[in-house]
Amino acid sequence: MNRGAWLPVVGAFAFFILAWKAVVIVGGLPDYILPPPEMVAVRFVTAWADGTVWPHFVTTMIEVVLGFSVGAALGLIVGYGLARSELFERLASPYLVAAQAIPILVLAPLLVLWFGSGLLSKVVICALIVFFPVAIATMVGIRSVDRRLLELGRSLRATRRQILTTLEIPAALPNIFGGMRVGVTLAVVGAVVGEWAGASKGLAVLINLARGSLFDIPLMFATLLTIALVGVALYLVVVVAERRLVGAR
Amino acid sequence: MSSARPHPVAVGLIGLVIVAIVVGCGAGASSVPPSNLATSSPAAGATVGPGAAPTKLVVGLGYIPSVQFAQFYLAQQKGYYAAAGLDIEFQNKIDLDLIPLVGQGAIDVGIGDGTSVIPAASNGIPVEYIATIYGMFPNIVFAKASSGITKAADLKGMKIGTPSRGGSGWTMLQALLASARLTIDDVEIIEYPTFTQRAAVEQGAVDAATGFANNEPVQLELDGGTPVVLHIDDITPLPGPGLIASKNTLETKHDAIAGFVAATLQAMDEIKAEPKVGLDAAISAVPELAKARETQAAILAATIEAWSGPAQDARGLGAIDRDGWTRSIAYLGTLGLVKHPVTTDALVREDLLPPRE
Repeated sequence: MNRGAWLPVVGAFAFFILAWKAVVIVGGLPDYILPPPEMVAVRFVTAWADGTVWPHFVTTMIEVVLGFSVGAALGLIVGYGLARSELFERLASPYLVAAQAIPILVLAPLLVLWFGSGLLSKVVICALIVFFPVAIATMVGIRSVDRRLLELGRSLRATRRQILTTLEIPAALPNIFGGMRVGVTLAVVGAVVGEWAGASKGLAVLINLARGSLFDIPLMFATLLTIALVGVALYLVVVVAERRLVGAR
Repeated sequence: MSSARPHPVAVGLIGLVIVAIVVGCGAGASSVPPSNLATSSPAAGATVGPGAAPTKLVVGLGYIPSVQFAQFYLAQQKGYYAAAGLDIEFQNKIDLDLIPLVGQGAIDVGIGDGTSVIPAASNGIPVEYIATIYGMFPNIVFAKASSGITKAADLKGMKIGTPSRGGSGWTMLQALLASARLTIDDVEIIEYPTFTQRAAVEQGAVDAATGFANNEPVQLELDGGTPVVLHIDDITPLPGPGLIASKNTLETKHDAIAGFVAATLQAMDEIKAEPKVGLDAAISAVPELAKARETQAAILAATIEAWSGPAQDARGLGAIDRDGWTRSIAYLGTLGLVKHPVTTDALVREDLLPPRE
């Protein structure tokens, strides 16, 4: 990627930082309301260096990875079923939509109550929030496969498995990865919401500690920055995987 | 080749700058304490003459309506605040951001204790403690007697329920465990964000839980249980909840806040002498409390008992134990909660307390 491609990105980031600083200065905002970017940057570095963030980061990452894996796997399976079975779609769709319409913020405390405040409840919450976008994207992708390709495959006596692996999935991958991009960022949201509902460790727990016990607002912002970076990093992982499997888009 | 029209990206960036400045100005205006806008209001600390507009004070109580706030309800209903020239707006809600909001001046008076005020001030939030409400630190750990827990060391390996990993109860729990050379990692924490930890103790879901001396143990006993209570006061006295305000608000609304303090303490004295007036005032303000009058009376009795510590017994309700604050700053420092040095003089003000005979 040449400098011409990077420059606007760096420029936009620099502008964001300047705008943040401008808000602090022009608004006369104290550090405990909106710390300036340089204070957050220093706190970010010190919090990582002294080990404050690491155990919480590890906990959240485990929740996100496991939750995304489970949610995406289920989404792929159910999405395929929705695409290929009209009966299944008629039976399952109302419940899927209803489940998606209930805010996860409301469900999370119930799930913590049922599954405990450990890893399991967080994985369930993440999986629930990831499931729907992946399932719908899979359904749309599978349905968008050109029927003539499928007919060609059947005419060549391709097995069901061959049709699935050589025709349907490759053709549906762009849509599936679209759902994965959304799902992976939502997985971070799910982990944070789950931790908020009850957890011993995690980035959301650290936010609550920074806010409610330590009154260390720069640490709170540094943790928010960490969560944002986790989301961006995971999104880029999906993009890289997509480019390898589907090609640049 | 030249372009007559500005580049769209440049236009967008300039627009973002303008938005940022407008947002900053708006945030700056909202961060200016309301008192700066009320310069024409008469200073109020005593009876205000006819025709003078009352001074509005926003008071954040930090919890849902409860008999524990009887003194505020009584003072309001008996007109003590109005007589002091005050128009009081109470915010009865759980607010994790109460202390920063008080520091910012968005709330004129709040309730906070040493475990919150000391770390907050250490991190630059400009709040001061101006009157004691609870002479005893009310946050406790409670359990059923059948749990076998009698001291902090017995908590090792136990399940402990708590509303959240933050706030005074969390700090108290850490201090209690530290007294027995334990840490949070030596116990299993179960969170009850909806404050149902008492039910969890009763049902055996947890072995112990954090709570308030004037609430959960009282209700546990009324339900027929035999509670065991671990007080942090037995280990190190921590400053209990009291009235707090920002330094700026105290300068601009000094007399009004002094009037609020005096009226509140007057109501506390009356309730201490005759608890029934407090119960009636609370039920008048929160009619739902009447459904369990006996329970509410028991909670109020425990609350009144918690108002008084040694300093209050000696110098009257509201008195501030400066030595206790000094010891607490040092103690919380050992727990890593004092990021930057603070002194008692910077945290505590006694000039708003009414003179006591």
